[in-house]
Amino acid sequence: MNKKTLKFVGYCLAVSAPLSLNHSLAQTDSSIWDGVFTEAQATRGETAYSANCASCHSTDLRGNSNTPSLLGMSFMFIWENQSLAELYTKMRNEMPSDNPGSLSTQTYEDLLAFLLRSNQFPAGEQALKADTAKLTKISITPKPVFSQ
Amino acid sequence: MKTKIEILLASTLLLASATASAQITDYQSVTEDLLSNPPAGDWLNWRGTQDGWGYSALDQINSENVGQLQLVWSWAMDDTGAGEAAPLIHDGVMFLPGPRGVIQALDAANGDLIWEYRPGITPALEGSNAKALGPDQLGDAAMPATAFAGVGRGVQKNIAIYGELIYSATENASITAIDARTGLLVWETPVADPALGYYYVAGPIVANGTLVTGINGCERYKDDVCFITGHDPLSGEELWRTSTVARPGEPGGDTWDDLPLRFRAGSDAWIAGSYDPIANLVYWGTAQAKPWARAVRGTAGDALYTNSTLALNPDTGEMVWYYQHLPGETHDMDEVFESLLIDVGGRQSLFKMGKLGILWQLDRVSGEIIAATDIGYQNIVNVNPTSGAITYRDGQLPRIGQQIDICPSTSGFKSWRSMAYSPQTSAMYIPIALNCELATFGPTERVLGGGGTGPVRRSNYPHPESDGNLGEILALEIPGGEVKWRYRSRAPINTAALTTAGGLVFAGDWDRRVFAFDADDGEVLWQSRLSTSAQGFPISYMIDGKQYIALPAGNGGASWAASLPRELAPELRRPRNGNSMHVFALPGK
Repeated sequence: MNKKTLKFVGYCLAVSAPLSLNHSLAQTDSSIWDGVFTEAQATRGETAYSANCASCHSTDLRGNSNTPSLLGMSFMFIWENQSLAELYTKMRNEMPSDNPGSLSTQTYEDLLAFLLRSNQFPAGEQALKADTAKLTKISITPKPVFSQ
Repeated sequence: MKTKIEILLASTLLLASATASAQITDYQSVTEDLLSNPPAGDWLNWRGTQDGWGYSALDQINSENVGQLQLVWSWAMDDTGAGEAAPLIHDGVMFLPGPRGVIQALDAANGDLIWEYRPGITPALEGSNAKALGPDQLGDAAMPATAFAGVGRGVQKNIAIYGELIYSATENASITAIDARTGLLVWETPVADPALGYYYVAGPIVANGTLVTGINGCERYKDDVCFITGHDPLSGEELWRTSTVARPGEPGGDTWDDLPLRFRAGSDAWIAGSYDPIANLVYWGTAQAKPWARAVRGTAGDALYTNSTLALNPDTGEMVWYYQHLPGETHDMDEVFESLLIDVGGRQSLFKMGKLGILWQLDRVSGEIIAATDIGYQNIVNVNPTSGAITYRDGQLPRIGQQIDICPSTSGFKSWRSMAYSPQTSAMYIPIALNCELATFGPTERVLGGGGTGPVRRSNYPHPESDGNLGEILALEIPGGEVKWRYRSRAPINTAALTTAGGLVFAGDWDRRVFAFDADDGEVLWQSRLSTSAQGFPISYMIDGKQYIALPAGNGGASWAASLPRELAPELRRPRNGNSMHVFALPGK
């Protein structure tokens, strides 16, 4: 890693904290870090992603010229501090872009689980359900620095 | 046409599927002279003529009778990807490019299918050494399973015709030649590794006997860059390759500062070029640098040869000149689009317009700027009308995490929807999408396979001068740039423009409407409605003394602009499917 790259990475880290101020925090009483989807959902979601999403967003989720990356720094830049309800609603209403809303509710749930697992959020015991009231209370947040 | 087509009882591998296929029996070879001087009834180049005018010299359909146009035939195309078809016409046959590499030959008088080519399914010509990639390699809908960058929406815009062959550039980063008479594969040349993200959306053109094609898919960090290639049309052999990015240590290489090659992304060549046979120069545009924002890509340098017009010798690939429209572009304001070659005011000119809505006039022999005319909708740069020099307006340079207010949005005012020129009116007819955006650019990982455009938090809003309309046809006189007329529509204009010697301009919008305008004053003289959004490249042709207007419809995206109606005109709805071709003519002729 050259000096410029180090400088760039440092800059990105430096701006990541102020960025969160630009979003209104979701009304949170449940943490995304507690495991809000199951491993089985994410695995099913991976298959559904290949069939319905990868042709635009790429098999590695990093997108191309016409589609945003769904991974890592890019994903968090767009979605940090927004609720899972907002992300789910966008997927449900606008995706796949050539046939919005055409997948089953379970498939959308699975896709959201796969998206979360791909971004290093942990799986848990409770299945993720398309319950807007519950999803509104789960905010997409960076990993807590101190965890018990 | 029926006399030209014979049904063949399939005697090759196709017998296995017990199907019958047809072929064109009295096909006339397409020569270079024919490409340079096409008959008015044909449409041999993707924009009709090599100069890219999008103009038909036919005048049977004119401002007096266009109101009588009626549908003659229509044809449903595959709905496996986005439809942005730019068909060709030769001797009464329409060669129609569909999504994901499908090409169909139709009797252009009645829409009967003559043959179709399907990647991985259609066999190779007997005796050919072509190795068609099979369905296993292509994956579902011809998508490479190993691609890390995805292949987009399967767009196949234009194809080329030369000799006895039809040429296409595939989403698997190959160039293919198929027999224009039978649809059988003759050769397929892999040009780049699709697993690295390379793919084509623009097809080839033929220039002085060389097949010239520009590649796409260069937004990811990898140890190579975008390029334009020249190929032998008979064998597919690559003759030359010209990088569209200045490499470290090469002339212009310092315009990326000290970024290694791996992090010099973008400069995709995703719109086909034009050709001047007198100057023997091919003109090809390049896209912006990636990631879009300077602050994200790590250099404020000019980043040659991004967002430029390149003049290439088709025999050697030598870059005779380049003109960079927006040095160090930093908002996703593409200048990659079509070049129109027009002699006007005593100058051998090249006209071009990018997303910002600046009409550039270059000397196409020397590459010198002649004029830059800002149509007045953008708020990002100041442009010197004679030197073409641009400066960014105060506060409009993106900084990571800081919102800016830009017009146009990253969708652009002008995009792939080509403008057309009419020599009768000396005017350009430009499809426009009116829009603005609150944009916040974000960082991206600088790692192999990463990069991309960089994330943008975006909120589109209507342009303050649009009166709530998202679409416009702008008629602009050249060379002065005076506005001749404007037509506004609630939905974005979603096709290229077509001009005709009948004093007409044809175009269509996202809301399925297609129009014929009086080229002189913009009056709507005829309109109809298609099955889904008008989308693609309208053309005109003549068979047995009858003129036709072919208007493509399409779905499945088409760049960022597809999101505009959904967000800003939600009352407009369109079907989820419907890629198709619709052909109109006057009754009884």
